[in-house]
Amino acid sequence: MSVITPPLMAFIAGIVISSYLLIKAKETSGEQGTLGVLNASMGFSAVGIMGSGWTWAIHNSMIMGSSSMCATEGLVQCGSVIGDPQWNNLFGIPWGLIGIVSFALIWFFVLSIRMDIHAKWASGYVDLLFYVCLAGVPFVIWLVLVELTMVDGAPHICPYCTVIHIALIGMVACSYFLRQKRDTGAWS
Amino acid sequence: MARRRAKAAPKGKDEDVRTVAMLVTAGIISLVVAISVILAPIPQVGPDEGNQAPDFVADAYNGFGWNEYRLSDNYDWDWNGSSDSKWMLIYFMDTDCPYCWVDGDEMSQLHSQWSDRVNFVTVAAELSIPNHDSTRGEIEAFRDKTSYFGCNSDRDDCIDRPGTPNDWPYIDDRSMTIMNKWGLSGTPVSFILEPDGTVAWNKNKHQGQGGDGEELSEALQRLVGGQ
Repeated sequence: MSVITPPLMAFIAGIVISSYLLIKAKETSGEQGTLGVLNASMGFSAVGIMGSGWTWAIHNSMIMGSSSMCATEGLVQCGSVIGDPQWNNLFGIPWGLIGIVSFALIWFFVLSIRMDIHAKWASGYVDLLFYVCLAGVPFVIWLVLVELTMVDGAPHICPYCTVIHIALIGMVACSYFLRQKRDTGAWS
Repeated sequence: MARRRAKAAPKGKDEDVRTVAMLVTAGIISLVVAISVILAPIPQVGPDEGNQAPDFVADAYNGFGWNEYRLSDNYDWDWNGSSDSKWMLIYFMDTDCPYCWVDGDEMSQLHSQWSDRVNFVTVAAELSIPNHDSTRGEIEAFRDKTSYFGCNSDRDDCIDRPGTPNDWPYIDDRSMTIMNKWGLSGTPVSFILEPDGTVAWNKNKHQGQGGDGEELSEALQRLVGGQ
């Protein structure tokens, strides 16, 4: 099957729109700018949640044979990455499920701040958001190493995994800019 | 005299929005999980009969050298219960386990009887018991029945193992990774898998407490012989 599928195109569109919102918000000062960064954050974390759900579904279907949800042949494919029993889980928990939970936590912080950017706890949540996003980076580096060097027939690139990795990097950038806005008095 | 008033800092909302944010997050996650499960139901994976056998990738010795072996590469995913696809017999053992030593004869006999219908695979573990230290050389010697002193709790030369040399893959699981994944703590244990990887027979279920006592040979006859 083709590597570019409608869900993948939708996820890529989500990343592009979120990136555009982030760039635009960076140039906007005051509360509008902060809200813009938060909107971009919601976009990145939504892509992260949905992309993780999709890879979890691929994982479940690959256990029962093959999956029609992603290509299984070639350099860019999911079969040798999500379908690899040695690397497709962390202590038995599928990476997709870990992604859903992690991005849900990120989404909760972003939504809470977005709903009340002047709340007393908002400043603390910005820090928590930043540290949670930062904690995901070593896992992204590890998973990229796994798909490029360790899976059967490496290197392979799993397109949905890559979209989720980019979503996390986008979240690291968003949370960094939020902290910057708060610390420089440009929050509102 | 005019008094200058400092501009008040923006104040947050009176109600705590975090509860709403948490409920919205929970709702979205439930929706994503539900859609994922509808798209691809969560498979039952495990050593119990009727479940999909836990897959593994490990090094296997085939008589010439060690190569990567993936269990699911041997499955026929399109098996419909009537084709001539091969079943699988997975035998978990330890080269130092006295029961596995004795089993050598039966395994050789079963292979000569069923090899045209069943793929045999042996998973060689290393139990945490004194004198159960193993090496790849010992696994090779156990399989091939060649001279290597150290089999059967370091009491025997592997060349004296009962049965004939085996010509099926031996998986190196001295790290106990596969044993742990399958939830096993002792050896020998055997499983019969349908050609699509579904566990059809689990020795522990039949020969453990409350089991019907069915032997491996009887199970092969019932499951594969009756096809």
